[in-house]
Amino acid sequence: MGLWSGFFHPVHSKTLLALYIAGVLFACLVLFLVLQLIPVPARRHVIRFVTFLGGLFYALEFFLPVAKSGPHADQNVLTPYTTAFGNISQAIVGFTIGLGVINLFQVHLGRLVKRSSDAMFSLAFFLSFLAMFLVSLWHHSHPNALSRALNHILFDGLLQSLDATMFSLIAFYIASAAYRAFRVRSLEATILLVTALVVMLGQIPVGTYLTHTFPAPLRVENIRNWILTQANVAVIRAIAFGLDIGALAMSLRIWLGLERGNYFD
Amino acid sequence: MLHANSAVRIFVPLLSFIILAAIYVARQRSLFIRRIYGLTAIEEAVGRATEMGRPMLGVPGLGGIDIVTLQAVAILAYVARIGCRYRTPLLVPVADTTLLPLMQETLQDVYVSEGKPELFDPENVRFLSNRQFSFAAAVAGTILRERTAACFYFGLFYAEALIFSEVGQQIGAIQIAGTPSTLQIPFFIATCDYVIIGDEFYAASAYLTREPVLLGSIIGQDLCKLLLILGVLVGIVVASIWPIYLPLIKSFLLGAG
Repeated sequence: MGLWSGFFHPVHSKTLLALYIAGVLFACLVLFLVLQLIPVPARRHVIRFVTFLGGLFYALEFFLPVAKSGPHADQNVLTPYTTAFGNISQAIVGFTIGLGVINLFQVHLGRLVKRSSDAMFSLAFFLSFLAMFLVSLWHHSHPNALSRALNHILFDGLLQSLDATMFSLIAFYIASAAYRAFRVRSLEATILLVTALVVMLGQIPVGTYLTHTFPAPLRVENIRNWILTQANVAVIRAIAFGLDIGALAMSLRIWLGLERGNYFD
Repeated sequence: MLHANSAVRIFVPLLSFIILAAIYVARQRSLFIRRIYGLTAIEEAVGRATEMGRPMLGVPGLGGIDIVTLQAVAILAYVARIGCRYRTPLLVPVADTTLLPLMQETLQDVYVSEGKPELFDPENVRFLSNRQFSFAAAVAGTILRERTAACFYFGLFYAEALIFSEVGQQIGAIQIAGTPSTLQIPFFIATCDYVIIGDEFYAASAYLTREPVLLGSIIGQDLCKLLLILGVLVGIVVASIWPIYLPLIKSFLLGAG
């Protein structure tokens, strides 16, 4: 156990760090070659075994009793290793970002070479990518007033504003989607329309004013509250029960290698 | 870190045992599963795209490699398989880079197993952006430029769901969606032709493949839901007749680990 604890702790010596990185790269290369050499059915067994081990670790960490007090309160024997396992996942994700960038380059370079009608969008992609990449690199390696200003313009001024613009478009999409959904075509659509009207009226001061002389249970804000906290919550919880059981079943099938069809065979 | 309390240590293994027992029983005999319209409509949507000579679009959501996205990948693989038989391409934009090699491998396997590896184009699986609204804008742009005839949205979705499903609706694409994100279900219902709701999403691979193991799992899920309904009924009775026992039940269910 002591050896494992030391293995997962941060390394501060530069020589040791270089050795660790070289060792990890060598181990990855060997693992990659071994996985390529073994036949596909056997490779699937290896993947199932690794999946089982990963699932077993997290299941045991979740179910094992934890210390109630002391320096290791709310921890069990496996809890300290969850950070290390999380870091391994992060490292794998880091590798795939390169794959994503290569894919983007392949798609857009192809369009530029073919000079298709969408080539200008691909050109815009390359210009944006290069601008963001170079400014960000400059700002993080040699920060100064100019790099800070450029980074601010590109990230906060442009990217964040474009994100906010897309988000604000949702309001208009909700309006057009609601118009279609609320058209009185059937009994269900009528119930939906009336319910939505009550909820919206209960949300605004005019609605509250219209029914303020009614007995409390008939006031629109109280009806709205009942719809949202009683009727709606009951349905959402029923769906959530089904979803959680479904997620448990799917997790079990993947963990124990029982999943079938498509890429699981 | 979150850890199990006494109730979780009892109920999760119990529910797991029920599901595994149902899978074991399902291997011995054939089981019936009711019709799920959203999944049955997949072939109709692929057929329509084929007739119109336009591509299809499959979005596996914003999630990384987790059980929701794995299920979405399984459904999109089925869509690609049907599309491959009719030579109709499936465009798959992804928002998570970890999904890119998985999706490409899966689709390649589908085309190889259908005997048409030459139809597989790796560029049909595209990483667009890992930023939510940049991804939404890019998917909406893809729908408009490619004039996709059928759109499939399966996986984890958030506020961006309405943006591209509404764009798909506006160009007249036939749209099928399924998500465990309960807040997005109403938006999909307003914009899509078919929506699979709740645990139907996890039943999809069983429904599409008809594998006994998966069908058994669905039966196990239904038995677990019956158990939970029984628990809710017991809770109602106890809360109404013997409220004195409520604190005891609450401390058992919500107590520390």
